[in-house]
Amino acid sequence: MNTTSLTDRYVDAAMRTVPEQQRQDLGAELRTSIEDQIDGRVENGEEHSAAERAVLTELGDPDKLAAGYTDRPLWLIGPRYYLTWWRLTKLLWAIVPVCAAFGVALGQTLAGAPFGAVVGSVASVTISVIVHIGFWTTLVFFIVERSAQGADAGLVTPWTPDDLPEVKERRATLSDLIASLVFLAIAAGAILWDHFVGAVYFADTGWVSFLAPGLWPWYIGGLLVLMAMDALLVISVYAKGRWDIGSATINLVLNLTVAGYALWLLSQQQLINPEFFATVIPTDSADTVYTIVTILFGFGIVAIAAWDSVDAYLKAHRQR
Amino acid sequence: MSETEALETHLQELRRGTAVLACLRLLESPGYGYGLLEELSARGFETDANTLYPLLRRLEKQGHLTSEWNTDEARPRKFYRTSAAGSRLATALTHDFHAIAAAIDALPGTIQEHED
Repeated sequence: MNTTSLTDRYVDAAMRTVPEQQRQDLGAELRTSIEDQIDGRVENGEEHSAAERAVLTELGDPDKLAAGYTDRPLWLIGPRYYLTWWRLTKLLWAIVPVCAAFGVALGQTLAGAPFGAVVGSVASVTISVIVHIGFWTTLVFFIVERSAQGADAGLVTPWTPDDLPEVKERRATLSDLIASLVFLAIAAGAILWDHFVGAVYFADTGWVSFLAPGLWPWYIGGLLVLMAMDALLVISVYAKGRWDIGSATINLVLNLTVAGYALWLLSQQQLINPEFFATVIPTDSADTVYTIVTILFGFGIVAIAAWDSVDAYLKAHRQR
Repeated sequence: MSETEALETHLQELRRGTAVLACLRLLESPGYGYGLLEELSARGFETDANTLYPLLRRLEKQGHLTSEWNTDEARPRKFYRTSAAGSRLATALTHDFHAIAAAIDALPGTIQEHED
């Protein structure tokens, strides 16, 4: 029967995704309805095969029709869970890849991997973490959407005005200014104290500095100048009332200069006093400790400089 | 979006619930899919087949319609009939529809002569 083949195929396709126990009943009804509609068109003078084609075209995609019969959602994540899904994904993307990249870079460097290998594994780990977060979060919500059958799975609590976010502080606040200046003053004091007095005291050797003595006067002097410039920058930002792209960029340049010099000195083994660990830990392991502290110190410098620079840009962006 | 497209969308929104009401009222006397489709269209409730068939299933699942296979004729058909709960729903919907129509009539503003 060549004439009914399209209808056969349509009913078969539509019933494929319908639960077993409804299949026979639904299939029979759908077939009757299609044949009725074809007959209706044939009575109006249409040819049978053209009528069949027109009726099936009007009914549309059989999977879509079946979804209508069985109340199956035709979307990945519907409006009920979309906002929860998107907020969670954004939150995870903001936190996890950065932590993973930092951890991998630190671990690989401590293990003595060459620079290229570190960069390579950080890049591949970061990308795969981003992709994994996206995939698994979406998969969980996909399953919840389908298993809850349109009911509330308890993931979404009703919204109340208490959920409103606090208005982001638009102005550069006095407390920010004081915190920055106090931090700079303590840092400058610590550097000077380290140089003129020392970091630790031993009965036999007296005070030992943490920073290399060769840094005095030019490098430490330069650092103090940069810190003074940083202080002027935060004061000017407070006076202007807000961060903007210009001040954030100056902040970035200052951070890059300090971090760049510090890393370069660190790699030349000129930053940390070589006497320091030899005195503090007078064993063979002093060398290992020196290497590890150097690496940790380097990562700490990069992390602080990166965070401070990004923070300034975020504030500038928010306060536009 | 052009003006006619916008009009289509809004008309569709406005008519969305009326198919349910019309089905429940028409099926006070038993009817089957295609027959109902024709009658709806004849009475001015233009409905697509792929909307109507799932709608009948949904109303049956909710208990507003009952169904029964009629095998007396050459082509067996599934006949639907409005249940007691369906009648109550139809009454409520009709009252609400009248209330909406009255509220629309009471709205301020002038209505232009409708052109077909």
